[in-house]
Amino acid sequence: MKKANWLFLMIVGVLFVLAACSSDDSAGGKGAKSNKDYSELQIAYNAQPPTLDPLMTTAVATRDVARNIYESLVTLDKDSKVVPMLAESVEESEDGKVITFKLRQGVKFHNDDDVTAEDVVASMHRWMTTTGLGKTYFADATFEKVDDTTVRLVTPKRLFIALHLLADPSQIAIITTEEANASTTAEGLTEFIGTGPYKFVEWKNDQYIHLEKFNDYVAVDSPASGLSGKKEAHYENIYFNIVSDASTRFAGIQTGEYQVANAIPFDNVAQLKTSDTVKTSINHNGFNAVVFNKRAGLFAKKEARQAVNAALDQEAILRAAFSSPEFYELEHNLMIKDQTDWYTDAGSDQYNQKDTEKAKALLKQAGYNGEEIVILSTRDYEDHYNAAVVVQQQLESLGMKVKLDIYDWPTVQQRRTDEKAYDIFITGFPTEPVPNKYVFLDSKGEWAGWTNSPKIDDLLGKIAGAATQEEATGYYSDLMVEVYDYVPIIKFGNKTTVTAYDASVEGDDFLQGIILWNLK
Amino acid sequence: MLNFILKRILSLIPVLFVVSVVVFLLVHITPGDPASVMLGPEASPQEVAKLQEELGLNRPILEQYVTWVGDIFKGDLGTSLFMKQPVLTAFLEHLGPTFSLAIMAQLFAIVLAIPLGVLSAKFRGSLLDQTFMGVSLVGISVPSFLLGLFLILLFGVELRWLPVAGYKPVAAGLDVHIRYLILPAIALGSMQAALIARMTRSSMLDVLSANFIKTARAKGVKEFIITIKHSLRNAFIPILTIIGQTFGTLVAGAAVVETVFNIPGIGQLIINSVERRDFEVIQGVVLLIAVSYVTINLVIDLLYGIVDPRLRVGKR
Repeated sequence: MKKANWLFLMIVGVLFVLAACSSDDSAGGKGAKSNKDYSELQIAYNAQPPTLDPLMTTAVATRDVARNIYESLVTLDKDSKVVPMLAESVEESEDGKVITFKLRQGVKFHNDDDVTAEDVVASMHRWMTTTGLGKTYFADATFEKVDDTTVRLVTPKRLFIALHLLADPSQIAIITTEEANASTTAEGLTEFIGTGPYKFVEWKNDQYIHLEKFNDYVAVDSPASGLSGKKEAHYENIYFNIVSDASTRFAGIQTGEYQVANAIPFDNVAQLKTSDTVKTSINHNGFNAVVFNKRAGLFAKKEARQAVNAALDQEAILRAAFSSPEFYELEHNLMIKDQTDWYTDAGSDQYNQKDTEKAKALLKQAGYNGEEIVILSTRDYEDHYNAAVVVQQQLESLGMKVKLDIYDWPTVQQRRTDEKAYDIFITGFPTEPVPNKYVFLDSKGEWAGWTNSPKIDDLLGKIAGAATQEEATGYYSDLMVEVYDYVPIIKFGNKTTVTAYDASVEGDDFLQGIILWNLK
Repeated sequence: MLNFILKRILSLIPVLFVVSVVVFLLVHITPGDPASVMLGPEASPQEVAKLQEELGLNRPILEQYVTWVGDIFKGDLGTSLFMKQPVLTAFLEHLGPTFSLAIMAQLFAIVLAIPLGVLSAKFRGSLLDQTFMGVSLVGISVPSFLLGLFLILLFGVELRWLPVAGYKPVAAGLDVHIRYLILPAIALGSMQAALIARMTRSSMLDVLSANFIKTARAKGVKEFIITIKHSLRNAFIPILTIIGQTFGTLVAGAAVVETVFNIPGIGQLIINSVERRDFEVIQGVVLLIAVSYVTINLVIDLLYGIVDPRLRVGKR
């Protein structure tokens, strides 16, 4: 009897501890709001940005967070057309060498100072001298104050793509205070002061970045469109919670712990679609590609690259990488169809050929004699790895000897700069606002893979100096033909990313990253 | 006793020197560099080279090591390249969540395992014993990440009893703090619970068959007193050893559970730092963990003497 009592007490004790811990139903209940609560928006974000100074990195995480804090003189609308943001108007001189920006009046920084011409000139000077884009295209340009409400960009020759580059969301040409620009260190800004609808509050490393609604934000009086138009911050606070594990983001959006979760695994989307409390949004997110080592080894020969291009079955690669046609699109063009100014059919006949005989003939022409080909890839991004496996199989079916070298992503980033370490690597590229921004085209950039085509360089130069969009688009068509002849890379097709939202959240939008300011 | 402590502390110096050399070499020999990670995938080689120079990453490796060790003697473990804060600050910031989690997991393990182990020993060979030991075998065999995901699905997604992820400091309220740690603590502590339960059972079995227990029974001492006071206390040395060893594992080895439950602890700091190739953090944190390990072992050695006076150093 005594033994039984003792056992009973112990079991009751353990059960009590467990029950006491699990009785409250408030846990994870933020999503279950009866009245809409705009006090905070909890986002499960998959990566921590290296910095919140967008001039210091091309990292996507920096882009996605910083766009809420900072604005630029011009930006992109939903069709990726350049429109004014902090500028009220933009005027180009007839010779295209001078672009004059009239500044929007009454715009304030997060520290309550008015935006002045001096702030703009200091910010643009820093952008031109710090970023790769600025140094490449604006090395001989000047940015100067005309009067208190007007500034201008002066370039030694016409630069058709200047406004596109200033509107580029990946290294956004942010406008911050003259003082903030003056107090930067080698690692960039030391204080994050912008004019955007949210201001920076706190960054808890590996936990969250907290932004707060900027009450004095002055919105543009035009409908919201992409990154442009009216921005209306409904939520008082935004928390970018750094949640690197995909299954945790997935579980968190289901329980209401988070109201937004990015980079949802494709395999989980079907389950979310059956949910009443969660909705998903599938958005275009650049493309993945084979990048050839054109400096050493077999693929230094154009015919060998053309052989791979002739052989590849892009649909099989995309299916392996993204699991369902819902998440990819067969597309030959470097620009997407929404970029109506640029889109062209040129080069489409050379895409997704699946022509084994042609491939074998080209390989023979290239002098392939059975040497081992190394494909460099990573499992950090499953889509890269899965694509690499299928590419390996398809090349082996041509009779090639192919080896996969799999490393973590930082190692791939380093090894791809060693011409002796690989023949092919698999990577992803974001959609760019102008073709000139694709790093694998311009030989001057010496980016991994080392494209070196005078014809491509010439066409990029012509696009940059075009007088009109029509002229630039014409050169771009020629560029696409040349790209499929020289084959610096082989694009698999367009890819997507999936963002999940609490079903009660409205106004979700996406343009090269999630847009949060009009969520309600 | 003082001599013993001093000797033990002096013996740490060569251990920590070897750890520092190994960690430093491993970190620097591994391909990948922080500059590329910080600048993003589209950075040009010129930009990467410029940042490497600014961060001092292109200096000879021996020079970097000597600088690092020299700074440690000045109390400076370096500055995170990525987080832009001193390594010690980053470590201490991340230590809180890991420590809370480890304590919760250890409490869960002890509260569950010792009674189960004692009961199993008392009722050796019974259905109860076989069930408990079967469950403990499952506890040892199931990986913590799998158990974590299962707990998330059951208690987070389906039943909605507990949050699925995140961490709230004590400042947010003790109840909130504990609520966020329950599931990760169970996921992390299950293996330790199983180990402690099995060790308790085996150690108790040894003691229960000893002559002094038979004598106590013959003298009519109550069974409860025999089990707790006479048997468990005498069986506690190996149990304490395993508790000490597993606590070290909990502190340093919670990386997977921290990732699954998104707890910003030391494990996640190391994983993130490896992904970012944040050399200074990896080196500094691993060194600090090594120091923690040897310190815990030292404390356990001293605790032996408190629990069992026969083992007190210096006494014969």
